[in-house]
Amino acid sequence: MRTVLLASLRVHTRRYVAAVLAVTLAVAFVVATDALSSSARAGLTAGVAGPYSSADLVVGESYGIEAEEVDRAVAAAEEQGASTATIGSAFEALVAADGRQLDGETSIGTVSLDPDHRWQDVVSGRAPETVDEAIVDENAARSRAVQVGDVVTIGTGSSAVDVEVVGLSAPAAYLSATVYVPWETLRALPSVYPDSVLVTAGAGDPETVQQAVDEAVAAPVVPRETFVDERQTEVSQGVDVISYLVLVFAAIAAFVAVLVVANTFTILFAQRSRDLALLRAVGAGRRQLRRSVRLEALAIGVLASAIGLLVGALVGVGVVALARALAGSERIGAISWSPSWWIAAFVGGVVTTMLAAWWPTRAVTRVSPLAALRPEAATDARSRVGRVRIALGLALALVGIAFLAMGISTTTAQLTIAGCFTTFTGVLALGPVVVPAVIRLLGLAIGRTGAPARLAVDNAVRNPRRTAATTASLLVGVTLTSAVLTVMASGRGAIEAEQDVQYPVDLVLSTTSEVPDGLVGRVTSTPGVDAAAAVPGVTVTATAETPGDLGDVSVVAPDAAAVAATRDGGVATDIAAGEVLMTSPYINDLGGLVPETLTLAGPAGMIELDVVTSSADVGETLVVAPETLEQLVDTPRPQAIWALAEEGADADELGGDLGLVAREGGMELANQLERRAWVTTQLDVVVGAVVGLLGIAVLIALAGIGNTLGLSVLERGRENALVRALGLTRGQLRRSLGVEGLLLALTATVMGVALGVVYGWTGVRTIVEVATPDAQLVIPVGQVAAVAAVATAAGVIACILPARRAGRVPPAAGLVVD
Amino acid sequence: MGRCVHSVEGMNQNVSSPFPPPTPPHPNAGEIAASARGLSKTYGDGPAAVHALREVDVDLPAGRFTAVMGRSGSGKSTLMHCLAGLDRPSEGTVSIAGTVITGLDDDTLTRFRRDHLGFVFQAFNLLPMLTARQNMLLPFELAGRRLDASVRARLHHVAEVLDLGDRLDHRPGELSGGQQQRVAIARALVTDPDLVFADEPTGNLDSETSAEVLGLLRHGVHQLGQTVVMVTHELEAASYADDVVVLADGRVRQHLLSPDAATVAGALHGDTVGVAR
Repeated sequence: MRTVLLASLRVHTRRYVAAVLAVTLAVAFVVATDALSSSARAGLTAGVAGPYSSADLVVGESYGIEAEEVDRAVAAAEEQGASTATIGSAFEALVAADGRQLDGETSIGTVSLDPDHRWQDVVSGRAPETVDEAIVDENAARSRAVQVGDVVTIGTGSSAVDVEVVGLSAPAAYLSATVYVPWETLRALPSVYPDSVLVTAGAGDPETVQQAVDEAVAAPVVPRETFVDERQTEVSQGVDVISYLVLVFAAIAAFVAVLVVANTFTILFAQRSRDLALLRAVGAGRRQLRRSVRLEALAIGVLASAIGLLVGALVGVGVVALARALAGSERIGAISWSPSWWIAAFVGGVVTTMLAAWWPTRAVTRVSPLAALRPEAATDARSRVGRVRIALGLALALVGIAFLAMGISTTTAQLTIAGCFTTFTGVLALGPVVVPAVIRLLGLAIGRTGAPARLAVDNAVRNPRRTAATTASLLVGVTLTSAVLTVMASGRGAIEAEQDVQYPVDLVLSTTSEVPDGLVGRVTSTPGVDAAAAVPGVTVTATAETPGDLGDVSVVAPDAAAVAATRDGGVATDIAAGEVLMTSPYINDLGGLVPETLTLAGPAGMIELDVVTSSADVGETLVVAPETLEQLVDTPRPQAIWALAEEGADADELGGDLGLVAREGGMELANQLERRAWVTTQLDVVVGAVVGLLGIAVLIALAGIGNTLGLSVLERGRENALVRALGLTRGQLRRSLGVEGLLLALTATVMGVALGVVYGWTGVRTIVEVATPDAQLVIPVGQVAAVAAVATAAGVIACILPARRAGRVPPAAGLVVD
Repeated sequence: MGRCVHSVEGMNQNVSSPFPPPTPPHPNAGEIAASARGLSKTYGDGPAAVHALREVDVDLPAGRFTAVMGRSGSGKSTLMHCLAGLDRPSEGTVSIAGTVITGLDDDTLTRFRRDHLGFVFQAFNLLPMLTARQNMLLPFELAGRRLDASVRARLHHVAEVLDLGDRLDHRPGELSGGQQQRVAIARALVTDPDLVFADEPTGNLDSETSAEVLGLLRHGVHQLGQTVVMVTHELEAASYADDVVVLADGRVRQHLLSPDAATVAGALHGDTVGVAR
């Protein structure tokens, strides 16, 4: 049998190309993931030690430390003669001296005034020596055109601080920020988030210091090495979680590879059934034959997995080199290959192949030796669909629908996911019935275009099982992609609706005095502004029982024009006379202690108003109804300008432009648009990553379509020659195969999009709706259409090679009886 | 050879008997349906070259049933493929119904085949996924021609003559070998082509069914006025033809007009002797 095995491998290698390609891609995917995750882990963990290198002890937990604890720790340590440094971060707006908004929200880190505790590498200028000095990350400085000597404003409103940039620092791998200021400055910012306190015993006795600090604070006090180890483990676990998530996509790719490989083997063995029958006739036993074809599959699996390891390693090295060039070698470390991943990838590839070949090779042994003696049947490749299969498929579909219904009614994600899997398996089982029906339906339209198209429809449905298996592989990718896109689009819709409430105004220009004349016009004419309106108001003195005097505050009463410049008018229209709306910036300032009533004293009178709170952010201003405003002032003057950005306007650019306008008019700008844009960008990144990772599965499926068509072309050599003899031109034959590929891809796409949207809907009902009750199903028509177009076009591209090969054969060559 | 003749004559059949008296002149008689001049076909080159045809000159008269005979490897299939425009000769010209087809590009040649020629092959004549009727109408479909009343009438006439009336909606898998060949003949005749090429049409059939199929081809020539060129290596099959072209070693050994059985056998015998020598 060995002679037969080797000869068969030699002769049929080319026909195994797609099977090899499918397994190779899946294996390479895993190996490249190992390369990327190991280098990211190396880069991230290497940087962790940096900021803590000066400390003997570190006070803090993995999530940080309470603000009050910081003071207690510092006091206790310094009492013992130790030196301390506090590490923390904040997210604030950054504005240049000329009013240009540099960032709506950016990271602010700490730099110690004590040179011993300073971990940043100052590359130009010098380190801060006083609390109103700062250093800026050199890359951030370049992109924002900030230079040494500039004064920048961090934060907005009453909490804003001005600092002078005295130096630039090299990019950091861990705790990196745009601007680094001394802790004393950072702690005054509203969004401050303390990380840890570093303690260096110095002259003091380390044990005494540790004991003293330990007594003073509840947070753990640990040696530096322990703290850094814990942080590194945390960071590395974060990378591991991401790489395991990526492995989910590798599993999807492997599943698609199983479909492609199984289909390839089925077709190949069907084509070779006469050869196999002949072997049986001349004395090969069933088991011998099965062993032979399984060894053949094993050889293919080993070959494909080996190529996969090689390709994956090359791709990994390439991508890591690219990432180092783009993100800097501080963040991306060197690759450290892990043998367990390589072994897992290789074994996984071989097992995938063997698993896929199991059923086809089983079928081989059922070949009767008599088949070799029969006159060669006119490739009657039609297959029948078993009743068992139909019954099983229907049962799975029904059980799955029941799961889905239960999952939705009880909002149990696990049940819904189980329902999706079960119905999908049902659809795959029913494929040989459903897929040809869909093809015939699509063929009704396409078949009108002429004989080649009609032949293509007939050819596409002649072998229902093969057709179903071919489309199944693409169906997996398209279904998953459109389901993910639908869930994400619906989730985005829900998030945006929430943001409309939270950030009703895109950009707020506010002042405690008066809006200068003509400034509204300048705001309106700024590119990217859709509408802008001056909001009438007055500056009043506010007092409350607790916490007492609030000082001079701005009060506005939005009129119709102002409401028109909001995304959600509720903030202005829901306020009744006798009420005052306190928005989130005030609530934060008050530390959450909101008074029940507020007394406002204006030029025209003094009134007591019931406080209504809202999570909405319209800047540092109180909102009242127009009637209330009339009681406070006789002639209200504009106190703020509300601007609504055009759809798709760049938040950074608009912030920069309006920052200049605001500064000229002596006003403050709050850029809410940038906060929205940040969320949108995060969603885009997630969608892009998921679609990109699913792309591997789609790629494998397309190799499968090309392969099925290629093998069908070989199988139909005589038929193609016959129709060519009867008058089908070479171009028509190629077109016919093109249409066949198009039909296969289109069917998978149509079914995939339909299933994906339905699954997306179930996901919205069980997952998104739980988070945001008013979630609506949003079908991202543009994105789904793009996926459909790409998949269909790729299906046509996949059959270019088989079509060319078929067209090249002269009719006479295909007719020779061999 | 007498054995063969006896076996055919011994059959009880409703079609014309072999070796009939010389057929009456057909209206088309005298015209040339297909002709080849200096036709050569060489596969490969150098010392390994195989000369399938060597400068063949042949004229096939219209309205006649011509058999092309020869042993395996004599070039008879290659001759047919070149005559029918299914393969390109290395040298020489072929003209069919007055059109020189050897210089045509692939698409023009394909359309020419579609409009002027009919084919019956040894096997794989029919597309398995189409019904008998769809297979018969395939040339019209490929040409994008509308199926008008005259086409339908001809289809029904041909189907009736070939006794396929109740088999039109069956797929090839549901037909016997003889029925499949009859569908193929119907398809070749339904377009009323200038020339029908038959390549070993009885190669896969038993002798009784063979006789039936051959009788039908003959019927097509003498009753429907078609021209048929048939490649065969069987003497019985050739006995249904009007004329016989005997090929040997890529050359025309003899072109026998209305020969009798003994002459044909003799020509083939000579062929055998020639090759043996």
